[in-house]
Amino acid sequence: MKHSILIAVREWKERIRSGSFLLFSVLGPLVILGLIYLLFAFGGNSKQHWKVLIADPANVMENKILAHPDPNIEYAFADGYIELDEFRDGKRYQEYDALLEVNEKVLSNKLAFVFYRHQPDVRMQTRIQFEYERRLEEIMVKQFTDLSIADFRKIKQPMNVVFRDVYDPHDEASDLRGWVGLVFGALIFAFIFLFGMTILRSVNREKSNRIVEVVLSSVSSRELMLGKLLGIGFAAFIQFLIWGIIITTGLYLMREFVFMDMFDAANMNVQQLAMDASDKSYQESFLAVKEYNRFVELIYERIQFGNMIGFFLLFFISGYFFYGALFAGLGATMGSESDGQQFVLPLIAVLCFSMYSGYYYMNYPESTLSTIFHYLPFTSPVVVMVKLAQGYESGHAYEIYLSLITLIISAFIMLGVASRLYKNGILQFGHRLKLRHLLKWLKKT
Amino acid sequence: MKEIVLEIKGISKSFYRKEALNNVSMSVYKGEVFGLLGPNGAGKTTLIRIINRIIRQDEGVIRLSGNIMTDDDVRMIGYLPEERGLYRNMSVYEHLMFLGRLKGLSKIDVNQKIDYWLDYFNINDWRKKRIEELSKGMAQKIQFIATVLHEPNLLILDEPFSGFDPVNVELIKSTLIEMKNQGRTIILSTHNMKSVEEICDRAALIHHARKIAEGSISELREERKSGIYAVRFRGNMIAFVNALWAGFEVHDKQELGDDRFVVTVKMRNDNTFEDLLRVLLGQVKIEAAWEVLPGMQDVFIDLVQPKTEENEA
Repeated sequence: MKHSILIAVREWKERIRSGSFLLFSVLGPLVILGLIYLLFAFGGNSKQHWKVLIADPANVMENKILAHPDPNIEYAFADGYIELDEFRDGKRYQEYDALLEVNEKVLSNKLAFVFYRHQPDVRMQTRIQFEYERRLEEIMVKQFTDLSIADFRKIKQPMNVVFRDVYDPHDEASDLRGWVGLVFGALIFAFIFLFGMTILRSVNREKSNRIVEVVLSSVSSRELMLGKLLGIGFAAFIQFLIWGIIITTGLYLMREFVFMDMFDAANMNVQQLAMDASDKSYQESFLAVKEYNRFVELIYERIQFGNMIGFFLLFFISGYFFYGALFAGLGATMGSESDGQQFVLPLIAVLCFSMYSGYYYMNYPESTLSTIFHYLPFTSPVVVMVKLAQGYESGHAYEIYLSLITLIISAFIMLGVASRLYKNGILQFGHRLKLRHLLKWLKKT
Repeated sequence: MKEIVLEIKGISKSFYRKEALNNVSMSVYKGEVFGLLGPNGAGKTTLIRIINRIIRQDEGVIRLSGNIMTDDDVRMIGYLPEERGLYRNMSVYEHLMFLGRLKGLSKIDVNQKIDYWLDYFNINDWRKKRIEELSKGMAQKIQFIATVLHEPNLLILDEPFSGFDPVNVELIKSTLIEMKNQGRTIILSTHNMKSVEEICDRAALIHHARKIAEGSISELREERKSGIYAVRFRGNMIAFVNALWAGFEVHDKQELGDDRFVVTVKMRNDNTFEDLLRVLLGQVKIEAAWEVLPGMQDVFIDLVQPKTEENEA
């Protein structure tokens, strides 16, 4: 073990001295903070402002739109027919972003064209369509029914059917929380993959430059592999710690100094919210904003970070040893550095599969496959994070420990398998690695 | 009686169907330089790796100072592989410290040894240099220092002179001889037969996974002598040849100038060295005469090269 520690310290020093380690340690969390900032700053609403000219030669709309149109859209009416070329090139139309053509048969053919200068975003398209549709509804109700517009809208109101878990009627284990779990799982895999590849390259480099034979004359192959795993793992842990500190500090600073009003009830315009809430489109928008605010609330209030981080570390460490051993074993069996290329794709496939298992679990938590993913060492670090974020049902906490123990045992088995591959493959040079080599070296004691 | 430091007994090793070593036995004595010879692929590196416990033999035992070798015993060995590398990102000092510590030395000890060896090779200013900044020869010196840093009793050096210029080859040779004189045992695996003649006391030759010869260098050469003698003389070459008559055959001749020659002569029938001297006396002025022993290069080729006539027989 003393040898393994010496090797681990050497590996650790080599990693933390490299420029890429420092760069990734600082830039990585800053990029994540930047993305969160963008989500907070621009996730709530769109600031785009449009001027729309409605060409209505038959005066179907009677020069009217809704009583409270979207403040970001300004409408103007033209009672004559406007040629498309004229709108496109005419000086007096240049101020308009779009032309909405209302033909005289619109009430029967329900067709209208909007010609835009710049592609509107989906929200802007929805708003224009909604407001135009609303105005036509008023006209049609007046023309074809005896109903009041309020009654018509009551009838038109869609039925909302909300599916809720009987064990979670208040929907506390929301999808959003699942997503946070998935992000945690993705972090585990990002680090494992990143440092797994570092292990693979490091083993392969030692093998290529033949230093390995010098080292193996002092230590056993098992000690060398373990030292490598420990050293690189510790560097990964340090990097994760730096990420944690920077992201936590960043989120705290954002809350305290950048998005103070987001959490302050006094800053909310209740009148505006009430008015918006009466409007269906605003309801949608409001829901979107609410969803967005739920994300903010989720980040700061609902995720039990203490609990999650504890298990995150346990699964991270166990998962790291499980996958790290695999990477080390493979690195030792390669005949040349180019052999590494052919392994990257299958390893990425395993990674994608693990990530997908977390997503699958979010959608089908009760399925048999989900249960398998929960205990399968290749996928459990992600799946457990998703489930942990959503919360384990009362009396089912043992599942997480069972999954953890399974992963730890699997990591030990993988270490055994990998050390056999390592021992038998590390001094084999110049071959092109094939499956039969792996099988041969696995059998050999 | 000489003390056996390393006893290799009945070692066999196969890699699947390929036989790497077959029942190889040899003994290495304390304080000698032992040449481990053989053509490429003969099994030398496999044997060296087995001695260093990097791989395990299928059969046989290895004893170090009389005891069956254990993993801890490898600390008493310094191993310089043929294809050796260094950690390119580390400094010379860090590298030596790392390998010294792996051999079980304390930090203080390693520091002392590093100081000694850097002084010895007069390369103190390399201490902080990164390995990647060193030339091949410089790196070879660091590898050599890393091998001897822990003052091992047994040194196993695989092609230790490769990559060195002639000056440094001599420096390493004299260092090895100095170590030998201090009582260290050295196993030298090389294809450089001149070095074997110069510094090895004994040698073993492995061919096709089997040991085919073992003995002192002089014994090995003696065993393969073919009755050729050399005579250095002053006089007439024709008189020399006429004197030989039918009992001897001129093998080779070299003119030194001023009527001086060196001629190698092969005996015919049962003629001896004394007979040769007798027939030449009075015909030419003999300055020196000696028996020509084959060089290790010839011994190596003789042992390894397939003997067509024998095979046909």
